[in-house]
Amino acid sequence: MSDTAPDLVAADIGKVFEDGFEALTGINLSVAPGEFVTLLGPSGCGKTTLLKTVAGFHLPTTGRIELAGQDITTAPPERRDMAMCFQSYALFPHLSVADNIDFGPRQNRVPRDARLKRLERLLSQVDLGAHREKLPNKLSGGQQQRVALARALAMQPAVVLFDEPLSNLDAKLRDQVRREIRGLQKDLGFTAIYVTHDQAEALSMSDRVVVMRNGRIDQIGTPEEVYDRPETAFVADFIGAANILPFERRANGHVATPIGDLTVTEPPGPGASYLVWRPEDAEPCAADAPDAITAELTERAYQGAYTELHVRVDASPEQRLHLPHAAMPADGRISFRLPPDRLRFVTGALA
Amino acid sequence: MNWQRSGTIVLLLMPGLGLILVMIGSVFYVAVMQSFGFFNLVGEDQFSLEHWRDVLDSRAFSRAFQYSAYIATVSAIGSVILAYPIAIWLRRPFRGSLTVSAVLKAPLFVPGLVAAFLFLNIVAYHGVLNQLMMWLGVIDEPIRMQNDRNAYGVIFLQIWKNMPFALLLLSGAVQAISDEVLDAARDLGAGPFDRFRKVIAPLTVSAMQAALIIIFIGAAGDFAFQVTAGPTNVQSMAQFMVFLKDSFGRWNQAAVVGVCLMGLALGGSLLLAIASRFLLRGGRW
Repeated sequence: MSDTAPDLVAADIGKVFEDGFEALTGINLSVAPGEFVTLLGPSGCGKTTLLKTVAGFHLPTTGRIELAGQDITTAPPERRDMAMCFQSYALFPHLSVADNIDFGPRQNRVPRDARLKRLERLLSQVDLGAHREKLPNKLSGGQQQRVALARALAMQPAVVLFDEPLSNLDAKLRDQVRREIRGLQKDLGFTAIYVTHDQAEALSMSDRVVVMRNGRIDQIGTPEEVYDRPETAFVADFIGAANILPFERRANGHVATPIGDLTVTEPPGPGASYLVWRPEDAEPCAADAPDAITAELTERAYQGAYTELHVRVDASPEQRLHLPHAAMPADGRISFRLPPDRLRFVTGALA
Repeated sequence: MNWQRSGTIVLLLMPGLGLILVMIGSVFYVAVMQSFGFFNLVGEDQFSLEHWRDVLDSRAFSRAFQYSAYIATVSAIGSVILAYPIAIWLRRPFRGSLTVSAVLKAPLFVPGLVAAFLFLNIVAYHGVLNQLMMWLGVIDEPIRMQNDRNAYGVIFLQIWKNMPFALLLLSGAVQAISDEVLDAARDLGAGPFDRFRKVIAPLTVSAMQAALIIIFIGAAGDFAFQVTAGPTNVQSMAQFMVFLKDSFGRWNQAAVVGVCLMGLALGGSLLLAIASRFLLRGGRW
């Protein structure tokens, strides 16, 4: 996918609202045709503002947006080859399912035969043929979301923008619709930009994840890259569970941390400020094993697939361990080791 | 639901609903009965269709009916047409929007007769407008605008007085439409006019109907604006009704006009309501 020319380019995008709030700063992003890119970050980080700027609902204060080589920075939303799925679905409550889906093509004066064919195909793709004459308020949340998706796809846009489309669905339905969206995206091959604050959603659906904080991009990478090799303390902390420790450099590939001296395969870079390890990286071992860390168990929480243990080494901050079927040790102490290749160094401060 | 519970509900509703039914019902009953020769203030009570025949045969009545229907229709539609863009403009608060909204609603607090007299001061032969236009050199001598034959003055007053009411009803309905729904329409290619025609108007049709009905009924029964600023060659239904009662003491014929006025108010407002819903929602209720 990276071999193809970028389909959508946002270059040096900045957005300052009328009240002086700086929502976006120096955003640079390019999305290849057919790519599924997710904007991930906490509430207020600017991901929806960026999506709405790409869609044309906000005019950027600085920067430039291009679609297939055309400058669309100031083009209104109705003139962009994009369609949006809104968080609240934004279906027209007075129109039936079929009329909602047909709204865009009718608006764009697509010939009647082509419109009807497109409508039938989409109704079948989203499995809503039996509900075509119903009003949106007669549908479940999942069905409404599928209508919103079909309505966006009816425009046959180059890019589909999703603004937290699953946030109003329950967990089971969210998983189902998530797979449906990804399946349709792969089948039809449209480019997708997807906003979410749900890291599981981002990791499971995306070709690439853009992690945002305070109106800036912290890291762009594949789901594996942002999870396994976070570049900043914020990314490490926001995506998945992480133990983040201050460290001091020692000789011979060692660093000193509040849980003891640790061996690392790669020495920390010049800007590194924290050492990070994931709770599932810990390997239980005997107390007298080489590099063993012995900690006091403070809390145990059964999570189904694994057990989360909260431990403390002397006066260190509490650390988390995810171990399969870990029982509560009789003496309240547990020993584990951290493989050197699983220890990473990150830059920046914690949020 | 047992009879005790039903009885309790009826008793609880009696003070409000009962009063309304008695007040409205009695007025309507007396008017209808009087039009057929009963409740005579002078002479014997006697059933008669003569009053209906006399009134319906009268050219003055048919002109008054058409005139009132015209004033009511144009005023209702005009008020709503003017109120919509303002309601959309004020949909999202901005600096000064509260003041603008308050000023626009000020006519609601001015009695109709006072407004009509103020209007006369402006459009009179030696009124403010003529004086201003002469001072500016736009005209050489005053124009006669008062009591114009097309009733533009009455329509202006009706819209001036009723537009704030339409605005009040439409503002709430327009504000209830979410930004995302309007953004979605825009995203799907709808420009400003199509967003109004295909989304805003159908979603606010109930408020629009309420505004049309209430303004139509009020304007159809107008007396104050008509006698002050209306044309002198035609009477409104209310004016004609008073004319019959005052000039000849023909209470029964006045009652016929009154019943016809109620019929016009009911029929006309229903017609407007049905037409607006049919036009905007394609008959979908």
